[in-house]
Amino acid sequence: MRVIDLGNRTLRRRDVLALFGGASAAGVLGLPREVLAAKTGGILKVAAPANPSSLDPATGGAGSDHSILWTMYDTLVEWDYDTLKPKPGMAKWSYPDPKTMVLEISEGIKFHDGTPLDAEAVKFNLDRNRSDQRSNVKSDLLTIEAVEVTGPLQVTLKLKNPDTSLPAILSDRAGMMVSPTNIKALGNETDRKPVGAGPWKFVRWNDNEIIVVARNESYWRKGRPFLDGIEFNIIPENATALRSVVAGQNDMTFQLPARLKPVIERSRDLKMVSSPTLYCIQVYFNYARAPLDNVKVRQAINFALDRDAFVKAALSGLGEPARMTLPSTHWAYAKDVAGTYPYDPDKAKKLLAEAGYKDGLEMTIGGYTDQDSVRRGEIIQDQLGKVGIRLKFTRGTIAEISAQFFAQEKKFDMLVSAWTGRPDPSMTYALGFDKGAYYNAGRTADPELSKLIQESRASQDLAERAAVFAKIQRITVGQALSAPLAFQFELDALSAKVKDFQPNLLGKPKFENVSLA
Amino acid sequence: MLNAPRLRIIGRRLLHAVPVVVLSTFIVFGLLKLVPGDVAVTLAGDNASEQRIAEIRELYGLNQPFLVQYGSWLSKAVQGDLSNSLVSSEAVLTSIERCLPHTLLIVALALLTALVIGVPLGIAAAAKPGSWIDGIVMAVASLGVAVPNFWLGMLLVAFFSLQLNWLPATGAVSLMKDPAAALSHALLPALALASGGIAEVARQLRSSLVEILSSQQVRTLHAKGLAPSSILWRHGLKNVSVNLLTVISLLANRMLAATVVVEAVFAIPGMGGLIVNAAMNRDFPVVQGVVFTMVLIVVALNLLTDILYSVLDPRIST
Repeated sequence: MRVIDLGNRTLRRRDVLALFGGASAAGVLGLPREVLAAKTGGILKVAAPANPSSLDPATGGAGSDHSILWTMYDTLVEWDYDTLKPKPGMAKWSYPDPKTMVLEISEGIKFHDGTPLDAEAVKFNLDRNRSDQRSNVKSDLLTIEAVEVTGPLQVTLKLKNPDTSLPAILSDRAGMMVSPTNIKALGNETDRKPVGAGPWKFVRWNDNEIIVVARNESYWRKGRPFLDGIEFNIIPENATALRSVVAGQNDMTFQLPARLKPVIERSRDLKMVSSPTLYCIQVYFNYARAPLDNVKVRQAINFALDRDAFVKAALSGLGEPARMTLPSTHWAYAKDVAGTYPYDPDKAKKLLAEAGYKDGLEMTIGGYTDQDSVRRGEIIQDQLGKVGIRLKFTRGTIAEISAQFFAQEKKFDMLVSAWTGRPDPSMTYALGFDKGAYYNAGRTADPELSKLIQESRASQDLAERAAVFAKIQRITVGQALSAPLAFQFELDALSAKVKDFQPNLLGKPKFENVSLA
Repeated sequence: MLNAPRLRIIGRRLLHAVPVVVLSTFIVFGLLKLVPGDVAVTLAGDNASEQRIAEIRELYGLNQPFLVQYGSWLSKAVQGDLSNSLVSSEAVLTSIERCLPHTLLIVALALLTALVIGVPLGIAAAAKPGSWIDGIVMAVASLGVAVPNFWLGMLLVAFFSLQLNWLPATGAVSLMKDPAAALSHALLPALALASGGIAEVARQLRSSLVEILSSQQVRTLHAKGLAPSSILWRHGLKNVSVNLLTVISLLANRMLAATVVVEAVFAIPGMGGLIVNAAMNRDFPVVQGVVFTMVLIVVALNLLTDILYSVLDPRIST
């Protein structure tokens, strides 16, 4: 259950949704202007945890960019906050046949510079995303063979093979539309002067300091946005970010570590928001080499990990034990897979003995140097130590250690890190477990798994897709290709005047519904 | 003040600075190359495939030999072009122009605080060595050296910002835009940074003053019947000014380095944050640009110190 804590009173998620539904209905039904006016105006000041890698959706790369990008760029497809089911954004989609996807763009949408957002603009963007030398979303759009303009507001995508993950992909970077006029004028420098069609327009970006956006007066959704503008103050140090909210310099901050929960609770004037996300803390395995090429060793590790204790100790209880790479609220969660590895140290020892490690074994593991990672590592070390697995830890910066584990060097047997989640589950499995994928350190995969990942993109029906994902999860969990530990909950601190902020399952805040009291 | 010998000193020092700058940027460039991790991984983003990472390496010339990369950076830098950040593509010079004033303001304010508080403390302690004032000053000084400045920073924020709401807890404002706001933002970080400096100034001043005041020369002045206050101010302080200058110069260098932590605690977009972020991402041009600027500042500070030495004490010629 998602709980939104409002200091002394706690709302169930249902109540919040009801309130929220009421608010959005007010917009649709055209309530008297003064009701809406009451919600409109003000500058929201946000302490954001990271400087964006780029403000050009095609050339950026960091998962932390999205919250800022979404203010300036609308996406062709959007998703449901709670389940991440795709829903129409600037465009509706359909599949007349499995290898053709048609996008119908809504009428009257314009970029901030006045360029119309029509079929030509969408084609321009998709082609740029597919082919530009600096595009980082090329691999997301590999299945598209050709983009054709089939009407003033209609684009038809010819696919190499059936791919129903495309709606979700178009709800991410690849579906953020940039003004073609701006790109033609500035090329890839558009990231310093971005022009999108989102609810707010770009004003200013000082690296590592501030990003300012202001209301787009000709936004296509009438009555939106509520806020006159947003100021993102970049504060990478979480405790400092929270202090800035306590001091009233900022109105909110997001993605706080669980250890700061008591600080929020102690501050009388703050609201705490906490909700499930896809962010999965997990141990990655290099299963291409001994001893992790032995499935029994991998399973032993999974039995030896006490996930409930981990959530309590590492996340102050603000999380969900992870039984697979998807949380229980996700539409593709497979219930029958969830019980595969109950905490059972005896079983773990037995499996290790069967694998030839009666007296235990020593393994190497990489991790990061920040406080939370160190704590996670210590818990894992302790839990695995109890079944005879002695871990030799190497710590370093994220860039350093992930490069050593995932790139050519192939140091360490394991890596304790996280998977930040993707809008479509097929992306998660393709990037993390398929043959040759970067996040699959061993680069090998069961051919059956590769086949199923393809198959998961064949049907449009979510129930059918969920059934294929269940098969995929039976393989990744059954074969113990990783050790998922916990889904971290989103933890945000808001001042009392921030209204209607709603967290989402992706764990990356959107501000489209927020208003200031 | 700038006579011929002094101009010679300046000329010689400037010549010395060239190899220092080249060597330090070369070493930093080399260190960044030695450390594992790759800016191409950052640039390729979360969805990166190995092929994409290789493509990016090619695109940005990251697969070229070390010396070629360094040489091309240096030749541009000499012409005043510090390249663009690989990650954000902003010109490095623009980032530095924006960040440096914030850092310099804090360091300058911290130095001033260290002097304004440290000098009277040192004099008070030296005037009566062994007295209770001396005891207290020395105890406070030891504490000042021992307290980590990030911790003091958090205490200051808790008290002055969160409790009393007098001063802002985070951020910085440009001195040009709004001097009052800039000072109010810089005050707490400067205090946090100054704590060690106050202690250092007080201790150094006390020990050199005590030494001079117990010297034969001063004993002679006493015997001649000069008032103790006149001895302290006219003879004592004048003689320790060179020592004090050394302390200030060392402090300035040390504070420039220590701002990294203080800037993180107060979320100040200064040089510290800039270099930490860049180093994390292996963003060579930015790291190089910051190091280059800092080396230039330190060289300039040392040059200024040398000139002041020879003004304060004409016997010194370097």
